[in-house]
Amino acid sequence: MDKHRQGATASYVVLALCAVVWVVLPAAVHRFAQEAFAEFQAPALHLAGKARDLARFWELKSRDKEEILAASRDLARANAALELQLRRYEDIRKENVRLREMLRYNPPPEYLTVVARVAVRDSSTWWQRIVIRKGSDDGVRAGCPVIFSDRVIGKVAVAHHTTSEVDLITSPNFRCTGFLESDEQNRIVLITGAPGRGLASGRSRVTAIPQDYVYPVGNAPKVTTTGLGGVYPAGLILGHLEGGQRTTQDGNFRESSLTPTRDLFSLQEVTVLVPKYPTPGEILLEDQAQKRLDELR
Amino acid sequence: MRETPAAEALPSSPIAKARLYLVFLLFAVGFGYVIVGLALRQLIQTGDLKAQYDTQSRRVVLRPPSRGLIYDRNGYVLVENRIRWSIKADLLALQPEIHRKYLALIKAERVRGAPVEFDKLQDKARLEVLQGWLDRVWYVIDEVQPNKRTGARPRPVRPDDEPERRVNAADLRKHLRERRALPFVLVTDLAFPGSGRALRPEEGQRTIARFIDQFPVNGPISLQSDIVRSYPHGSLAAHVLGYIKDTDELPEKVNELADLPMDNLQKLQYTGKKGASGIEQTFDAVLKGMSGWELWTKTSSGYNKELVASNPAQQGSAVNLSLDRDIQCAAERALAQIKDSKGELLPGAAVMLDVNTGEILALASQPTFDPNRLADRVTQVYFDEVDGKGGWMNRAIQGLYAPGSTFKVITAIAGLRHGIVDWDDILECGPSFRVGARDFPEHDPAGYGQVNLEKMLAVSCNVWNYMVGVRLGQPRLAAEARRFGLDTPLLTHVSDLVNGSPYELPYPAARTLVVPDAAYKQRNGFGPWTDGDTANSSIGQGYILTTPLHMACVAASLARGETRTTPSIIHDPGRDGRHVGAEPIGITEAQLTALRSGLERCVTEGTARTVRIPELPYAAKTGTSEYFKNGEKAHLAWIIGYAPADNPAVAFCVLVEGQLDTSTWGGKTAGPVARDMLTTWARKAEAPAGAQPPSDCQRK
Repeated sequence: MDKHRQGATASYVVLALCAVVWVVLPAAVHRFAQEAFAEFQAPALHLAGKARDLARFWELKSRDKEEILAASRDLARANAALELQLRRYEDIRKENVRLREMLRYNPPPEYLTVVARVAVRDSSTWWQRIVIRKGSDDGVRAGCPVIFSDRVIGKVAVAHHTTSEVDLITSPNFRCTGFLESDEQNRIVLITGAPGRGLASGRSRVTAIPQDYVYPVGNAPKVTTTGLGGVYPAGLILGHLEGGQRTTQDGNFRESSLTPTRDLFSLQEVTVLVPKYPTPGEILLEDQAQKRLDELR
Repeated sequence: MRETPAAEALPSSPIAKARLYLVFLLFAVGFGYVIVGLALRQLIQTGDLKAQYDTQSRRVVLRPPSRGLIYDRNGYVLVENRIRWSIKADLLALQPEIHRKYLALIKAERVRGAPVEFDKLQDKARLEVLQGWLDRVWYVIDEVQPNKRTGARPRPVRPDDEPERRVNAADLRKHLRERRALPFVLVTDLAFPGSGRALRPEEGQRTIARFIDQFPVNGPISLQSDIVRSYPHGSLAAHVLGYIKDTDELPEKVNELADLPMDNLQKLQYTGKKGASGIEQTFDAVLKGMSGWELWTKTSSGYNKELVASNPAQQGSAVNLSLDRDIQCAAERALAQIKDSKGELLPGAAVMLDVNTGEILALASQPTFDPNRLADRVTQVYFDEVDGKGGWMNRAIQGLYAPGSTFKVITAIAGLRHGIVDWDDILECGPSFRVGARDFPEHDPAGYGQVNLEKMLAVSCNVWNYMVGVRLGQPRLAAEARRFGLDTPLLTHVSDLVNGSPYELPYPAARTLVVPDAAYKQRNGFGPWTDGDTANSSIGQGYILTTPLHMACVAASLARGETRTTPSIIHDPGRDGRHVGAEPIGITEAQLTALRSGLERCVTEGTARTVRIPELPYAAKTGTSEYFKNGEKAHLAWIIGYAPADNPAVAFCVLVEGQLDTSTWGGKTAGPVARDMLTTWARKAEAPAGAQPPSDCQRK
């Protein structure tokens, strides 16, 4: 019995010693350990994601044939409609290019798209960060916008070799500019993630709403990206304004909550928009990462 | 009997016992002292100690409110607030980085073997760290992105860079001395990052968006938004609207802002704004709003630590001016087209009033200034530029001029009222009129022959007025001018809300209005009054000095058949149209009809015929008086009047300070400005009730 007690005490002592050593170690070692752990757990994350995909595959495979036939019929119709729409968009695109050339208008940034499956939601930060199964080996860079369809999901925070961590639009680390629906003057508002409230679904905050902005009657107004900052293309949906508004601390503006248009919990797949040329913001992030590496060395 | 264990523990020696009791006593006294002391502090001195705590460990930061908006009579915004995004550095969050830099600098100095000056190195470390962050900010916001294809890194500041790219050491020292608790401003306005270049609105928005979208979120550099004054139409009505300036004065009644013992607390304030001229100044009390406050705990080194409580600022109230944006725009545009033979802009002023209410629809003065360039700070270069052109003076209310022939209306009314002449009397008017030893000339060398009242007003006959004026005598002429309020300051305001000022607009020249008489001439050492002075006065020349606004009021009064008009720059839909000191002109209906008919003939066949508006019959009287400009004789071009002629709704006055070589004349030079104002007014008046016709006065 005494031996057991001594063994238990020794474990506590060792744990305490380890904790003290961890605290005392330089910050560079901490960061090194974190990076190493991220790379170490990447295969496990891949595996977990693929297992989930497999489970989904078998779940779909077990469906009734008639059901699948009906679904493929619907899909064919939708495809035909989309084909038509695509042709129309192609005409508009050509017209757009022609007009830009005529006006010598500076073209917006070009993006490469990287489609990525969601591997896991980072359990330490709940809805504020997800891990996707594409990383720097696939061309993903920190600072790149992440979207689903025409909706903004977030921004790549860290790009590892085979995985990337994405700060969701509800993360306090997320910030971007937006335009309010039916604001004729197109005044910029600021969208930031708001600190979480327990397990409730995520929210973002919209600040700098002009005092004279009048809500359109009916649906909650949409907030879309401005396309001015060189990161997000214009017109992507960030979410909808909630009704309640408060006057900001300085009394100059109003602020409100933003409800993301997509349930961030149910995300299966996202698209990373990789700007063709790195933006200054990306280079600053790279420099910070380089600085960290220098510290490690 | 067995003793208790406590008693057993006591020493048996009486001396030892006594010593022990003494120790007990000392302990008891000590504890008692502590307990009494604690009770004293907790129960009796609580208030004082709390106040001391507040004073030492907390501070109030005051946030100036945004100012109220200014609208024209139709609800168009003339002055608004623009969002300003600035970039600030949190010095408390930067402390570790500054400290690391400081240690590195000390190490470098020691390696070099140089004597270490710790204070200087501390300053240098702070400056270099802030400069590093400013370089990164510029790297992101700069329009030209050198990194776009080459991947170049942020470059360090160069000596030939604009001042905005460098952290100013003196500013930083001042900030640390006076406002250490507040963030340090790295870039004042993201929409105007360089003082030398004003970005177009979309460029400004791109700069703001680049920073917000790209700059790393977590860090010591934060984005803050506040409000700056914006004048969307640029220089439109600049003299009326005025401009604002920085103020660090604490708001009045600051201790009553919140239910806190504010008077004990240290107070810091973000720089606020107050009106420096125009409506911004006179209505400052209405426009300025109420400051917000934040109660912070502070660190021992004076930085803000934690926000305890706060209250948002409240925006100031709006002011609705009586101006009509479109008429004002038309007046200013027309004035801006009047140039001399060298292409230089001629100074001038234009006023239009609502005949019935006295509300001012337009009050323009040229040259002017752009209040947007004064909204943040007044640069000496811009001040001198405006000053050199004489652009600070509001000529419509501050400029003092001889009214010239427009005064003949007053001479005629005085003559009619005192029976010197009647409306149908015909006077023989030759090429000149002799008074004493001097011939006073007619402006037409041939003379006008037989002239009655109507013809006099149509052709602006001088001799008719010399004759009537001399027969009247100066006392009666001056009394008539005073009846029409030419010696009375205008734009007085009935409300005491306006900073205790009796005027709606700054009015420094009010005391120098001159309606001359013998006493005036004597008082100023010009000698005794003569008939020649009276002849001069009768045609609005000589010592008489008035403002364009006064002459517009004379026109409005004539249109109503009264003597006084109380003008106002504030729009009040319920204004009753009563005018302070107004009385009927005091002439017969026939005389008044002849007078008005003469003014109409002035437009149809007289001196204002070149600016006739076929679809809008109106009444006017032109004037061309002489004055001395830089020692040389020059002309002042005037026109006053009202429209429509049969049912007057608006009255106007235009003045242009001309020069002899440009042949400046009332009808020819000032007339087109009046015509443009009237055309714009007519276009708006014809629009269906409640509708506004398309405007060509756009935001800039």
